[in-house]
Amino acid sequence: MKNLNNKIWFILPFIISLLVFIPIAIIIYSFFLETSDYISLLSKTYLLNYLVQTFILLISVIFLTSILGIGSAYFVTFYKFPGCNFFSWSLILSFAIPGYIYAYSLNAFFSNYGVGYTLLNFIYSGINYNEVIPKINGIKGAIISLSFSLFVYVYLIVRISFNYQSQNMIDAAKNLGFGPIKIFTRILLPAARPGIIVGLSLVGMEVLSDFGTVSFFSVNTLTLAIYDSWLIYDDLTTANQFSFYLILFIFLFFFIENYTRSRSKFHTPSKSFKDIKKITLKGNKARFVTLFFFLIFFCSFIFPLMQMIYWIVKFPKFYGVFEFMEIFLNTLYLISISTSILIIFSLIINYGIRLNQNSLLSYLTIICTSGYAIPGVIMAVTLLTFFSYFSEIIEKLFYLNNIKNFFIGTTFALFVAYFIRFFSLAVNGIKSGYEKLNTSMDSASAMLGFSKLKTFKKIHLSFLKKNLILISLLIAIDIIKELPMTLILRPYNFETFATKAYYYASQDLVELASTPSLLLVLITSFLILILKRFILKDF
Amino acid sequence: MLKKKAFFFIFIFQIILQSTALSKEVNIFTSRHYESDIKLYEIFRKNTGIKVNIISGEAKALEKRIIEEGKSSKADVFITVDAGALGSAHDKGIFQEIKSKTLETSIPKNFRTSHWVGITKRARVIYYNPEKVTSEDLKNLSYEDLSSEKWKNRIAIRPSSNIYNISLVSSIIENQGVEKTEIWLKGFVKNFSREPMGDDRAQILAVAAKEADIAVANSYYIAIMLSGEKGEEQKKAAKKVKVHFPNQNNRGTHMNISGAGILKNAPNKENARKFIEFLLSKEAQQHIVNNTYEYPMIKGVKLNPLIEQFGSEFKQDMTTKVDSYFKNQSKALEIMKISGWR
Repeated sequence: MKNLNNKIWFILPFIISLLVFIPIAIIIYSFFLETSDYISLLSKTYLLNYLVQTFILLISVIFLTSILGIGSAYFVTFYKFPGCNFFSWSLILSFAIPGYIYAYSLNAFFSNYGVGYTLLNFIYSGINYNEVIPKINGIKGAIISLSFSLFVYVYLIVRISFNYQSQNMIDAAKNLGFGPIKIFTRILLPAARPGIIVGLSLVGMEVLSDFGTVSFFSVNTLTLAIYDSWLIYDDLTTANQFSFYLILFIFLFFFIENYTRSRSKFHTPSKSFKDIKKITLKGNKARFVTLFFFLIFFCSFIFPLMQMIYWIVKFPKFYGVFEFMEIFLNTLYLISISTSILIIFSLIINYGIRLNQNSLLSYLTIICTSGYAIPGVIMAVTLLTFFSYFSEIIEKLFYLNNIKNFFIGTTFALFVAYFIRFFSLAVNGIKSGYEKLNTSMDSASAMLGFSKLKTFKKIHLSFLKKNLILISLLIAIDIIKELPMTLILRPYNFETFATKAYYYASQDLVELASTPSLLLVLITSFLILILKRFILKDF
Repeated sequence: MLKKKAFFFIFIFQIILQSTALSKEVNIFTSRHYESDIKLYEIFRKNTGIKVNIISGEAKALEKRIIEEGKSSKADVFITVDAGALGSAHDKGIFQEIKSKTLETSIPKNFRTSHWVGITKRARVIYYNPEKVTSEDLKNLSYEDLSSEKWKNRIAIRPSSNIYNISLVSSIIENQGVEKTEIWLKGFVKNFSREPMGDDRAQILAVAAKEADIAVANSYYIAIMLSGEKGEEQKKAAKKVKVHFPNQNNRGTHMNISGAGILKNAPNKENARKFIEFLLSKEAQQHIVNNTYEYPMIKGVKLNPLIEQFGSEFKQDMTTKVDSYFKNQSKALEIMKISGWR
């Protein structure tokens, strides 16, 4: 009986693993299909260039995000300087700005006759500023856009690792005569290495799967090779084969991240450690650090925000209130359903893991969570193929008609896509809460005569409340920003802020994209502020 | 708990709503997104009582969805820009034959096939900076001449992945053959003043800013800039740039189209036909031309003054059938890449 009971807990993770495996299976299947000669053409011409550009982009963004992320996390954790409390949380606001929206702003400012030109002309006209203003386009633009929109991953995770370091170690190092630089390089950095690796792996994954930014700046990366082989060369099979290599590449980061995470538990600081003593900076040092933070905050958040506001003021366009109300309700609908499904399933799985301390189950869960490593475009297209195939089988099997209409062109496919993509966020979010709740609590509850369900409801849920809110907010932020999956899978007349912004930007109407973009950023910022106020109080 | 139930019902309700089809409607998949098009659909609804439902997106993504939806597809009409893209969609068998006498008489032969029709025309013209280019340089200037040494480091154009460029090269293949086009491309690419980047408007701005002397881009962009829609600076910049229509002493300037076809599994076939016929009516054409600065597909429609000032009587290429753009598409892209066109 106990055996059977245990098996039940394997069924759900197994089904979810299968779900995640759908896109990968479809991609692998493409190796058995006929292709055009696009690959051979590319290998004769630009394949190397695609690889080199991808590599340059990846390395540059990782380099920049580590400087921005580690640098800011270091100063915020260990020093006091003017504005440090404000900057400690306001840097997170850059999370509200997707890379593609950053790209629009950057281009608008620095291009020929752009906003920079207008501003300079306003101050003093008479010079051809087009020749003076640096052109930030192509790979330069992509590197800057991606770095400023992604560094926050590194900042957040590294800050947590820094926070958990012991003051005793730092004191000991000081007694040995270590200066601040030596303490940073010899003690703090090595100890924070797991956090740094996890943060940078996340950045790496995002860079490799980015489409919006690189396509806007037409940087020849692997994602663009996938897109070009599909959109321009009309060869989806080759696109899928490219995707396979890209995903291998991304999974490399995924495994580095998971391996590092599993090797290094983020311990809650035990009471025996002293709190970190912040050093107060004075004079030029303080000014310099404040300037550094101001520049990051300005470049990552204020600059794109101002660009959008500038556009709205300069190109006013009347929008019906209802139009945006509808988009808002659509977004709310997507978020509420997705979050409910994700949380219910993640709770069940985590509960199962808690009951059965089984390594196979843990491995299955890791597979389940690998969905976020699949780029959105690939996920959307493979899901379309799958649902079409799947519903045809069902139609034949049960002599039914129009089953497809249930799967494709409704929000159903979208929910599946969101589920696969954000499952890791939900499961790991709950897991980190559960790990802090000692299992002896369950035994105690059982001894008091509580049923398992009652234990779950009364003890686990109330304990996990904070984690659940955190997860819901993070999922909400991600869904609001999500573009490619929503764009491809959504029903008729169904817009979100992201699809609306894309709609304008893709049609040479990037100025009009500012209103949906600004609303997107404001709503996301609002959610981040809630997050800060109620969940991340110490930040 | 109650909340969860409520969500569940909303979910089911939404899906039911989405899957019940009303008969007085037409569902269109479009990659041509203009604000003014939406107003046009509203006029259509007022005239006929047929509601237009839209899904917009990237052409290939829409095409893929239409194919996968297959027989259950609710899509009636597929609208996209570029004849090559329409040809590609037709090649996958998603269109049905359009039987309409009205369309046959109003649309010139080279801008339609049995399965899809052109709605509007756009010319791919040469923009030049009069401070840098003389009238002597421009005399009888054709696309073919742009490979000459004389234009070294002077030309701005978008990347080779841009569909308008692919169609332009396809049309040159159609007229000159692959070998000659390949030789032409090698010279042409050497004349680029910078790495291909940005959209068509960025090329025109590059000419205004003297980053290049000439640019190849679509005709309506200059009018958009001149209209002031893009702000005072761009309006001023556009005034520094002039338009040249190439190939006037032979086949005429390369024309591309935006077009539409009725889908094979269209549930509202009749409405779809009415809709396309409406798009080619004088009223609709005038509306489109006024708002998008494109060239009308039918006769008797007045050009927008902002585009008319550059000449309305120029020679359009009426001999190269636009469905050849698809036929030569992959060859075109291949030789463009081989020539080093990024």
